[in-house]
Amino acid sequence: MKKILYVLDKLALILLALIFVFPFVWMVSTSFKSLQEVLIFPPKWIPDKLMFQNFVKAWSSGPFVTYFINSVLVSVSILALQFATMVPAAYAFARYKFKGYKLVFGITIAALMIPPQITFLPVYLQMSAWSALKTHIPLIIPFGASAFGIFLLRQSFMQVPDEIIEAAKLDDASEWKIMWNIMVPMARPVFITFGLFSFIYHWNDYFWPLVMTNSEAIRTLPIGIAMLKDAEGGINWNIVMAGNMILVAPILLVFFFARRQIIKAFVYSGIK
Amino acid sequence: MYKMKRLLTICLCFMMVVLLAACGNQTNETETNSPEEIEFWYSLGGKSGKIIEGMVEDFNKSQDEIVVKATYQGDYYANHAKVLSALASGTQPDVTMIEIASIGTFAENGALEDLGPYADGKSGLDLNEFIPGLMGNSYWKDTLYAIPFNRSTPLLYVNKDMLSNANLDPAGPKTWDELREYARKLTKNGEVYGFSTPIDIWFYEALVFENGGKILTDDGTKPAFNSQKGIEPVVFWKDMIEEGVMRMPPGEKYNAWDVAVQDFINQKVAMIFTSTGSLNNLISQARFEVGTAFLPAKKEYGVPTGGTNLVILSKSSADEKKAAWEFIKYMTDKDQTINWSKGTGYMPVKVSAVNSEEMKKLYEEKPQFKVAIDQLEYAKPRPMVPGYKELQEIIMTEIQRAVIDDNVSVQEALDNAAKKAEKLLK
Repeated sequence: MKKILYVLDKLALILLALIFVFPFVWMVSTSFKSLQEVLIFPPKWIPDKLMFQNFVKAWSSGPFVTYFINSVLVSVSILALQFATMVPAAYAFARYKFKGYKLVFGITIAALMIPPQITFLPVYLQMSAWSALKTHIPLIIPFGASAFGIFLLRQSFMQVPDEIIEAAKLDDASEWKIMWNIMVPMARPVFITFGLFSFIYHWNDYFWPLVMTNSEAIRTLPIGIAMLKDAEGGINWNIVMAGNMILVAPILLVFFFARRQIIKAFVYSGIK
Repeated sequence: MYKMKRLLTICLCFMMVVLLAACGNQTNETETNSPEEIEFWYSLGGKSGKIIEGMVEDFNKSQDEIVVKATYQGDYYANHAKVLSALASGTQPDVTMIEIASIGTFAENGALEDLGPYADGKSGLDLNEFIPGLMGNSYWKDTLYAIPFNRSTPLLYVNKDMLSNANLDPAGPKTWDELREYARKLTKNGEVYGFSTPIDIWFYEALVFENGGKILTDDGTKPAFNSQKGIEPVVFWKDMIEEGVMRMPPGEKYNAWDVAVQDFINQKVAMIFTSTGSLNNLISQARFEVGTAFLPAKKEYGVPTGGTNLVILSKSSADEKKAAWEFIKYMTDKDQTINWSKGTGYMPVKVSAVNSEEMKKLYEEKPQFKVAIDQLEYAKPRPMVPGYKELQEIIMTEIQRAVIDDNVSVQEALDNAAKKAEKLLK
């Protein structure tokens, strides 16, 4: 009985994994196909001839080096800014009850619910007034603080036992020291989890960079990839998918290196 | 512990450098007196986008007084939104492509430059050179605001091989009834659909025109589509879908167009409606003989034209506008428009181009290219009153609802759309 359950369990897992892996495999397979093979139905999983040219074509279809550098620059800068702002904010929300606490915290949480499509026009006008539209600033500054990050980190700061902080205070540790040297290291998995969320979101973001930028020099990868598509049909899917491979490769790398941390982040929530 | 802190410090330093570099970038940008630099926003990606970039490059090389900076801004919808927000902040381009049904919206708001004086002036342009059927969306309240650029009509694409195999005329069906009959004969249960079209406003407009109907009343103040003539096209689609001989491609906006085109190339459907702008792509990708034909007639032939016109933004300076005008003249020049048409399938916009040896030769070799031009004889402008962009979304949603949902009658759905339309058009 136990054995049957075990097998069933594994089978279900494999099935689930297949469902999630399927589009990914399709992308990888398509990116290596010739245009004729792309259109065969039912699809052929392994192309007759691996078309490495697709990647060259996608890469050389625009200033992809610039796009790539911009993507890294924007995603990493956003992450750095977010970490810098969310640590003190989360610490304050977790450890202090001050006047207007409820209101400020409420506003922070409410910010979670506002989609960028609503804020883009006022932000655009503001950035234009600063004549910052030809710089990276509009891509970075509006995301400098993350309500989600503050909330997530606050929850984990609240889990740190009071005894530890009391002990630190007895040792004459300053607030600053408690925050950076005690709280932050304890919440490391949360940083990793949030960092991944944030990085992937901004790495993949299409809408914001498209509306905020008017020049190739500051544009990011997703816009370059979208340009591979033709508006009124007849898309060269093999080239588009090669472009998508270029887009997801860095994310895969990040996942690969952060694998253990991700698992830890999920395990961590069980420890008090 | 220290590692984390160090990492954060490094990140912060990095961030500062980035911000400083970004600021530096901006101050370094100095204005030069000549050549005149103007911005051009376009909304076609892929192969078409590449051709546009090439044309812009050629223009920049052809003279040394004007430098055009071309930027891709997403599809027609995205570019429309971007131009609007850019106008609000004064960062608009000098010249851009505008989808033809949106010309009225922009003109009414005073966003567009009156091109009449430019066309009449010293470096003018004989407007009679343009194909008359394409000029319908160039004027707003009798003022010239836009010059035709990438222009199209919907076409009926047929898989000639499949039609021949089914003993049907490979030239394609001529009427709605024939289209339905062809679709029946071409459908193989579960494998091949006879016909497919995106349930899109553009094709709906075509069928309404063919049915002798109108989308709006002539003065553009009231909806006219919820009449018998506007209902029949939707019923026509709905019946064919229920019968299982027409496939409604899933997806939002242009995604549905993609699906239709892919199905056609994969020989999963035998006939589709799509733009002449896809012609070159379709011919090069299909492994069967692609035929094009007029959209099948009901009472008469009739199609809207589509695509975009070039406009100059009224907020630009006089010098920029002058430069933009030179650029428009170049882009719609006989030689340019011929190359553009050959590369994409969009129509050449000049009469002289259609009559040129080069195009004649192409029409002989690939008669599919000629159909859109011939069909222009029956073309009507798209409605372009301010608010039509919003209205077309409403109509599309309601038509799709009527087609998908058995519990909604076509009349009900269109009445619903008309009610909303009346509010929008006020």
